[in-house]
Amino acid sequence: MSSRTCYVHCAQWPIAVARAREVALRDVPLIVRERIGARDVVRAASREALTEGVRVGMRRREAEARCAGVAVVDADLAHEMHWFERVARAIESLTPRIEIMSPGRLLFATLGPSRYFGGDAPLADRVVEVVLDAFEAALHSELDVRVGIADSRFAARLAARTSSVIAEEATPAFLAPFPVVALGDPALADILERLGLGTLGAFAALPRDAVLSRFGEPGARLYALARGYDPDPLAMGAVPPDCDESVVLEPPASRVDEVAFVAKTLADRLVAQLAARGLACTRIAILAETEHGEQLARSWRHEDGFQPAALAERVRWQLDGWLHDRQPVIAPGDVRAYQDVVAMGESGLDSTTGALTRLCLQPEEIIAIPARQLGLFGGDPEAALRADRVLSRVQGMLGYESVGTFVAQGGRTPSERVVMVPWGEPREPQRPLVVGNETVGWPGAIPPPFPARVFPEGLPAQLLDEQGEPVRVSLRGIAMNEPARLHCDVLGFGHGAVVVGWAGPWPCDVRWWDAHDHVRGVRWHVVCRKPAGGAGPGAVAVADEIAMLVMVTKGNAVIEALYD
Amino acid sequence: MLAERIRELERAIAPVSLAGIRRLPVPGELASVLPVGGVQRGSVVTVGGRNGSGVTSAALQLGAAATAAGEWVAMIDVGMPGGAGLLGGAAAMECGVELSRCAVVRNVPDARWSVVVGALLDGVTMVIAAAPLRLTLGDARRLQARARERQAILVVLESVPSVRVGVWPAEATLRMQVLGGQWVGLEVDGGGRLQVRTLDVHVEGKGVPHRPARQPGERVTLARAG
Repeated sequence: MSSRTCYVHCAQWPIAVARAREVALRDVPLIVRERIGARDVVRAASREALTEGVRVGMRRREAEARCAGVAVVDADLAHEMHWFERVARAIESLTPRIEIMSPGRLLFATLGPSRYFGGDAPLADRVVEVVLDAFEAALHSELDVRVGIADSRFAARLAARTSSVIAEEATPAFLAPFPVVALGDPALADILERLGLGTLGAFAALPRDAVLSRFGEPGARLYALARGYDPDPLAMGAVPPDCDESVVLEPPASRVDEVAFVAKTLADRLVAQLAARGLACTRIAILAETEHGEQLARSWRHEDGFQPAALAERVRWQLDGWLHDRQPVIAPGDVRAYQDVVAMGESGLDSTTGALTRLCLQPEEIIAIPARQLGLFGGDPEAALRADRVLSRVQGMLGYESVGTFVAQGGRTPSERVVMVPWGEPREPQRPLVVGNETVGWPGAIPPPFPARVFPEGLPAQLLDEQGEPVRVSLRGIAMNEPARLHCDVLGFGHGAVVVGWAGPWPCDVRWWDAHDHVRGVRWHVVCRKPAGGAGPGAVAVADEIAMLVMVTKGNAVIEALYD
Repeated sequence: MLAERIRELERAIAPVSLAGIRRLPVPGELASVLPVGGVQRGSVVTVGGRNGSGVTSAALQLGAAATAAGEWVAMIDVGMPGGAGLLGGAAAMECGVELSRCAVVRNVPDARWSVVVGALLDGVTMVIAAAPLRLTLGDARRLQARARERQAILVVLESVPSVRVGVWPAEATLRMQVLGGQWVGLEVDGGGRLQVRTLDVHVEGKGVPHRPARQPGERVTLARAG
């Protein structure tokens, strides 16, 4: 079952919002940045920056390098949503049933409005008109409103990229040339590409039974998308009764933070209720009542079913849209009478009149819970949940940086080969192991086996030869004397341990161009035998050899790692 | 409701757990020295030995056993104050530990060690930690009881290079002594490099046939090939 959908995408919406609020930013190339995990990435970029090669998702530093003189602004989702509320209301004048995907993107069914405006293309034009009308003329050059109309939501989103209207029944043909990565599932795309099916058309040409048996339900859903259909929701009217969650806000809330916690509880309860029946919600109506009796409603959609965190986030965004910078509306009354306000022209940000007294979440469209995904960490998802709870708790006890996991990354020394990522942050390396299809090579890297104990600061030591002189290496990297004794107070051989085996020297000269980071030294593998300690009766006879990685820089030796 | 019903059914058809099944199998060479080729869940294992003899590698192999089963291991890393830990993550990866299921905890003050370990035993299958210097018998017994109750495994390291650590004062199901061994790979005049090590491991405890102390334990190749 599919219905013709109109997808409205305000491209680079964060840029438009930033420039709408700050006039000075309109003349300079601009990027909006956000923090994902440990990285600063570009959330949106202005047209000038895009022509210079900046791309969304790129690291901020790289973007700054590509586009000189670019201004950087922090992402502010509250404002983005608040300004987008205007767009939503503008389009509501054309049709009451709009669904928001995220700030900057919304969609609606075109059945009624299309007939009213005499066709899809006139509707698309009208949409652009009303959106631009909602803003002052100076901003029109910032707004890049793209409207796509097609038989299914997925196709409409792709059509919106090029602002096209796809004729009825022409959707499969339109989708055919797109690559399979457009489906949004990298794992499936990888498999399909290796099977030789690189485009949506090739995928859609397969028989449905084959897809279902090979890829299961999730694959069948993506197959439906590739064919130009919306995946089947449960039959209309199957939303279980009394699934709504509502709460009365006492005292009335006029700021988002007052409601944020309540919103989260509501979201948790709703998702739990639905999950208990084996359902997930793909479209939800967020309803609110103000103290002046206004009723506010907005529908949000999430194709994979809302999780509590995602749902709570959208409720917060919507409340941001309704409550932020509250100023009295000139024509109070029904929100649908927005047209009056638009006619009044530029009047700054308008909003609801009163504080919220009631908040309600109503599921509008539900699906059976999609096949259980393996936990992000593989293995047993329940074990992952338990571990997550405990580790978060310990993190709270000891500090954010105290609990984490290792992530393998590229590097030369054993300690550079992993990075510790605090618990809760995305497990991303600082230096990737693989770029594209190629494993990154690190010439001069210390080969495996890797030592089990590393000393990042290095333990001070002395590496001496038979005569007691420090071991030296010529400028060409050839040893001038051989290691014979190693002294190290911290490890317990302040009086020196006998070197029974050694390898090296391996010169290393790292970052010679950087005065600060330049490291030039020589590495040795050293195996020592500790001087005989008191082995008491009953102690097992032992060959007490300790193997270490020693680095000598400018005549100073440090123990970098120990093979334990 | 549906979810609960499914869980009930899962419990009903789950096999009755026998003592033999309540063990964590340890893959690899270490299995040859362990009774029943694994470690009993709910038990305490101590790993001791001199600095540099391979204590950490043995512990990492036990950790690898836990992650190989799809479960979680938490390692408490002693180190320099201010965070730089001493555990070699690359070595852990080499030993077979699945890094995404291996949590590393740093900056644990001695006074809170028991609390932190107790909390970790609640949620992960294995906790690997070096005992603090002044661990009381009472705390040790409490942790032992907690491990038994949660069917988790507590691995206590009794030696960490460059750090003074304590001994486990209470009973332990398994006491492992890692005795070091010969490195292979170094050549004359500085050629070659450290490649493989064969470790002597001596195990005592429940289910292990008693060996007179003077004889060396089983030989196990624990270091990784170059």
